[in-house]
Amino acid sequence: MSAEIYLDYAATSPLDPAVTAAMSDCLAREFGNPSSQHPAGKRARALVETARAEVAARVGAAPERIFFTSGATEANNLALKGALARRGERAHLVTSTIEHRSVLDAARALEEGGVAVTYVPADALGRVAPDDVARALRADTALVSIMHVNNETGVVQDIAAIGALCRARGIPLHVDAAQSVGKVPLDLGASAVALCSLTAHKVCGPKGVGALYVAAGVSLAPQMHGGEQEHGLRAGTLATHQVVGMGKAYALADAAREGPRLAALRDALWRRLAAIPGARPNGDPDRRAPHVLNVTFPGVEGESLRLALRDLAVSAGSACAADSPEASHVLTGMGLTDVLAASSLRFSVGRFTTEAEIDRAAERVAAEVGRLRALGAGAPEWCGAEALPRSKDLR
Amino acid sequence: MEYTPEVVRRFDSPPRAGELQAGLPGLVSGEAEDRTLQVWVRFQLQVIDGVVRAARFAAFGCPHTVAAASRAAERLEGGLVSNVARLDMRAIELELGVPVEKRGKLLRIEDALAACAAPRTGK
Repeated sequence: MSAEIYLDYAATSPLDPAVTAAMSDCLAREFGNPSSQHPAGKRARALVETARAEVAARVGAAPERIFFTSGATEANNLALKGALARRGERAHLVTSTIEHRSVLDAARALEEGGVAVTYVPADALGRVAPDDVARALRADTALVSIMHVNNETGVVQDIAAIGALCRARGIPLHVDAAQSVGKVPLDLGASAVALCSLTAHKVCGPKGVGALYVAAGVSLAPQMHGGEQEHGLRAGTLATHQVVGMGKAYALADAAREGPRLAALRDALWRRLAAIPGARPNGDPDRRAPHVLNVTFPGVEGESLRLALRDLAVSAGSACAADSPEASHVLTGMGLTDVLAASSLRFSVGRFTTEAEIDRAAERVAAEVGRLRALGAGAPEWCGAEALPRSKDLR
Repeated sequence: MEYTPEVVRRFDSPPRAGELQAGLPGLVSGEAEDRTLQVWVRFQLQVIDGVVRAARFAAFGCPHTVAAASRAAERLEGGLVSNVARLDMRAIELELGVPVEKRGKLLRIEDALAACAAPRTGK
């Protein structure tokens, strides 16, 4: 088995050496509590504010609109629950069926508390139509939450159009942008976005830190209590070194510089994979972030495909339970059968991905898909048998 | 999901995978599937004078299914066709370390073997 090839940057990414250096320096030198008033605290505070400015600059926001959290999951929870808490049980939330679980589970928790939720479906290309969002709005709609870049397909939603229709009705729009920074441009200050969730670890920053952008005039109820940190919106001592790491990661994460390279790697991978009979990409090819490629390989059982490709760090298109496979809600939401959703893989490239790795990964996928299809030669149509090659003895 | 080394070995290079040559004398086959469990298994046996001379399998399924089908095909060779439907899949399950939640998939192997043996049992 050859060395592992990492193609799972949409799950998380390795630290950039410059981020490691900045965090190490902070850990070694600045232990002060950024809320303290003595010099050690003030030095830590200065580091936090520098990082806040770096994050803000990357997303086109004013620094005072950035509130640090433990990650995008916390930011999503704070956005949804914080926005709806102020509106009471009779409020209405609009989101989509293909959101990240941190949004969907928060929405379901709000539903249990009496909030009405409308889940707008995606189309076969993974797009949430602004017209469908508009039709879901009601007089009591208190928040719309639509992700920017889908974490499974890379499809970029039309946030500008959705934001415009929300703004016209005076409804705040929350955007989960965990996959966006460093991949596609974000200019929150010029947008109609009211709330935006951010994270560090998808852009070669550390895990355990993220942020919520809160536009001026947007009111949120804190979900964490116990201090006045982050202007009372998020209690708890800031992890200065984590914040510093996020700031450095965002300073380095330039979509204009990195995006074209990532897109070239992704496209090179697809050109190779497209030679596999029946392989088909998932998601609108004209509205995709540059780092994600989701491909279905009909005729190959998902769990077997993942074990066969254990030298590649890639993600399944589904979360596979052992006895009753649970298909990806994103892919089934786009119309794939459970079997085809399970036969899908998400490849995601990043800063340290090389062309040689792309070539090697494509070779491995082609070889294993061919082997597993031969193993299942003669399988019925529901297995994706239309793409199976002629059977042969494998021994 | 964790796999025992034997499951991985059989999954990577499964003995008895494939098809027997069409037209061989004494060829019988049987298959079973469960779409909900995403498993399909087919066995081909060459039976001469009541003895399984060769066995092959094909499978669309998880690694445990592949490994168990491979082991089942191995065990069948040289045995009486009347014993095919009585193959001890529980022993294979234990031998390979198949987790209990996969038992439903292994039952489809039993079903395929039963389908294989049905035309000949009692003859």
